[in-house]
Amino acid sequence: MAKKMVLALASSGVEKLTVGGIILSGAVAQDMEVKVFLLLGGAYAFRKDVADKIQDPGEAHYNKEELLNGFQRANVPYWLDYYKQAKELGNVTFLLCGTAGKIWISDKPEDFVDLVDEVCGIGEYISSIEEADFHIII
Amino acid sequence: MNEDELRNLQADKVVDARGTSCPGPLLAAKRSIAEVKVGGIMEILSSDAGTKRDVPLWAKKVGHEYLGTIDEPGYFRIFIKRMK
Repeated sequence: MAKKMVLALASSGVEKLTVGGIILSGAVAQDMEVKVFLLLGGAYAFRKDVADKIQDPGEAHYNKEELLNGFQRANVPYWLDYYKQAKELGNVTFLLCGTAGKIWISDKPEDFVDLVDEVCGIGEYISSIEEADFHIII
Repeated sequence: MNEDELRNLQADKVVDARGTSCPGPLLAAKRSIAEVKVGGIMEILSSDAGTKRDVPLWAKKVGHEYLGTIDEPGYFRIFIKRMK
């Protein structure tokens, strides 16, 4: 039986989104079943009209240019590509927090990138944590 | 396997993931193992240092056999036998 992981994305900073994508990739490589919950900042990052434009390092204090140059030097993909690849390769479900969605634009999945499967409430998030083997919040 | 044995292996699938950073080679391995028949050999080429430990761990975790690694200048050749 596959291990279950819950990954909660609550930041729209490119470094945290990248970290989340790398962790997700590792979980998918090990055939884990993953639920990705898009909470406030995470929901913003997955907004259809925003997702391909995020370059700011969020609340981190390092220099934006240094970070982006480092990504380029290390041949690190754009953060969203990790999530697309994980969805393609593994058992990954993306759940959008309805409240977060409404805060940013709406609670309709079509306003977010095509990866989003469902809109959820906090009850589903808590239940999923209870059932999961791992819970990571970023 | 020792290095001579590894060098004599004929891989059924060679995955060239050089130039990509973690988790690129790992995902390339996961994606490509499906194209190898059970009992077949996959060779992963990677220039990412973390892959040298990551791919053997992945293989063990998902039930394949890690055969060994050859260090070449600037990259690694990692050999995995598909077991299921």
